[in-house]
Amino acid sequence: MIEVTNVTKTFGSGADAFTALKEVSVTIRQNEFFTLLGPSGCGKTTLLRTIAGFIDPTSGSLSLEGRDILGDPPYLRPVNTVFQNYALFPHMTVAQNVGFGLEMLDKPRSEVQATVREMLELVKMTQLADRQTSEISGGQQQRVALARALAPKPKVLLLDEPLSALDFKLRKEMQIELKRLQSETGITFVFVTHDQEEALTMSDRIAVMNEGRILQIGGPRDIYDHPAERFVADFIGDTNFVEGTIRAIDGEAAEVELPSGKTVASRRQEGGPQAGAVTIAVRPEHATLQAGEGLLSGTLSNIVYFGTDTHYHITLDDGHAFVIRRQNQPDARESYAVGDAVGVSFAPGVAQVLRD
Amino acid sequence: MAKSRGFDIRHQRGFTPIALLCFVLLYMPIIILVVYSFNAGQSIAIWEGFSLRWYQAAWENEQVQDATIRSLVVAGAASFIATSAAVLAALATTRTPPYRGSTFVFAMINQPLMVPEIVTAVALLIFFAMIKVATGYTGLWYLILAHSAFCIPFAYMPIRARLQGMDLSLEQAGADLYGTPWRVFRKITLPQLWPGVLAGAMLAFVISLDDVVITEFVKSAGQDTLPTYMLGQLRRVITPEVNAISTVLLAISVILVMAFFVLSRSKK
Ligand SMILES: Nc1ncnc2c1ncn2[C@@H]1O[C@H](COP(=O)(O)OP(=O)(O)OP(=O)(O)O)[C@@H](O)[C@H]1O
Ligand SMILES: [Mg+2]
Repeated sequence: MIEVTNVTKTFGSGADAFTALKEVSVTIRQNEFFTLLGPSGCGKTTLLRTIAGFIDPTSGSLSLEGRDILGDPPYLRPVNTVFQNYALFPHMTVAQNVGFGLEMLDKPRSEVQATVREMLELVKMTQLADRQTSEISGGQQQRVALARALAPKPKVLLLDEPLSALDFKLRKEMQIELKRLQSETGITFVFVTHDQEEALTMSDRIAVMNEGRILQIGGPRDIYDHPAERFVADFIGDTNFVEGTIRAIDGEAAEVELPSGKTVASRRQEGGPQAGAVTIAVRPEHATLQAGEGLLSGTLSNIVYFGTDTHYHITLDDGHAFVIRRQNQPDARESYAVGDAVGVSFAPGVAQVLRD
Repeated sequence: MAKSRGFDIRHQRGFTPIALLCFVLLYMPIIILVVYSFNAGQSIAIWEGFSLRWYQAAWENEQVQDATIRSLVVAGAASFIATSAAVLAALATTRTPPYRGSTFVFAMINQPLMVPEIVTAVALLIFFAMIKVATGYTGLWYLILAHSAFCIPFAYMPIRARLQGMDLSLEQAGADLYGTPWRVFRKITLPQLWPGVLAGAMLAFVISLDDVVITEFVKSAGQDTLPTYMLGQLRRVITPEVNAISTVLLAISVILVMAFFVLSRSKK
């Protein structure tokens, strides 16, 4: 278990000072596939390197399994990293790279050899054990980097966008392979990405970051269905934003009055807004289209056919845009036409009250 | 090929003749020196036919033998000391977080390049004289230490360049994989630093081999190196023997400098 508590990191000083992490707190559980997700420059790498020991935080604390490890240099932390650029040692073979950590731990030679063999098998690189690292492909380098980091059986594996350099197909394969490795080894993975789809498909839990802060932590479904902030809703998937006014709250439930004057039961986050004007978020596939009146009404401005689904672009009566996404059925005829007056509805509890 | 539109100095009128003239002025005297080292006669200016007699003469000259060995010992030892110090200096100036006064340290390391050699020579003469009086020691170490000192910046430059070009994440990966700083240095930094270290050592060797001014001031009686021996000869009769010695020195320097370029270019 990793506990990051109120970690702040400021680079530079005076006028050049830049705070890359602002009061970041997060608890990463044992055997978890935990993902740090956020746009470029939001501080993901900085947080990862703080855990690895390459960056000293300006303030805050960091513990691993209850022990404070902030004072430990990187080589004393039972944490291994898969670097963004792999950082394979160019003067060593694939097998020597994989065995490096064990050698530094002064394991007996027989154990080193056995573990190297096991690890190479795990990442399917046995054939290329004696190759120079410059003589293997990008995907293979990535697997070697993974094997090298896994070989000393660390408590935590840190992965900094390890898949970003790979092409689409290899990337899909490696995503599955990473998941497999994580469940087979039972090691806690802390995975960094700025690809929301990758985060949703692979993670047990996701922390969404922006500008040095963690905005929300939760399971993929939780983050997707119940974004707490406008940034989270916007960054992950597509979302419709609707202005409204809170009329009543009861725990996680909120009655929100829409611009049309109708009210809808929405979901709010604990600590979120309690009254007044708010923004609610509705996923395009969570709303339904109907002829005539709905919770909101407007005019169909565009219909875009995507094969698996169809997107209906609606201009609401107050001028805002709204998109509905509908799964296509076999033989279904398009029953709407551009210019139709339509209604937009969503079930109680679907709309999410945002904190912003 | 498309016509190049940018300013290209090679296309300016008069460039080619000036360039040729420069090369001639630079290399003509050296070529003449090399040619006359093979002269059969006594003169360094009148050609009397080809012979290797002056090479043989130099080879059999005990003073030359003596000076050659001393030159090699001093250059070898000085290049070893200077290179070791340069490795440490390069690590301290590239592998530490920025600190106050790092520019000053950098300038101090390169200081021997800026201070006029004659000033260093006189300073060392006085300084070593004081030590000689105090200790009575008159051996070769004064020369070795003096050479080490002025060779450091030459050894430092290629090593520092190599270190700066190296991927820092490799050393971090080493530390991440439980390597202590010393083991990371030995297993990861040093193997990749070798070409730089060798290049630095060779450069230092050539610079030491070549030095006249500081050596002339620092050496005790009877401690001639090849260059100071030759300087002494020039004050008497000049024979092509000096040309022969110079040609051999030139050959050694050219080989080492060429090796230096090959090494500092190799990326792996
Ligand atoms: N050593 C440093 N000195 C000054 N600023 C830094 C330093 N390292 C990082 N930063 C700044 O801190 C911010 C966060 O950097 P970080 O590398 O953590 O981003 P990231 O989320 O990993 O981005 P990316 O997805 O592009 O890798 C950036 O704005 C970066 O410019
Ligand atoms: Mg990054």
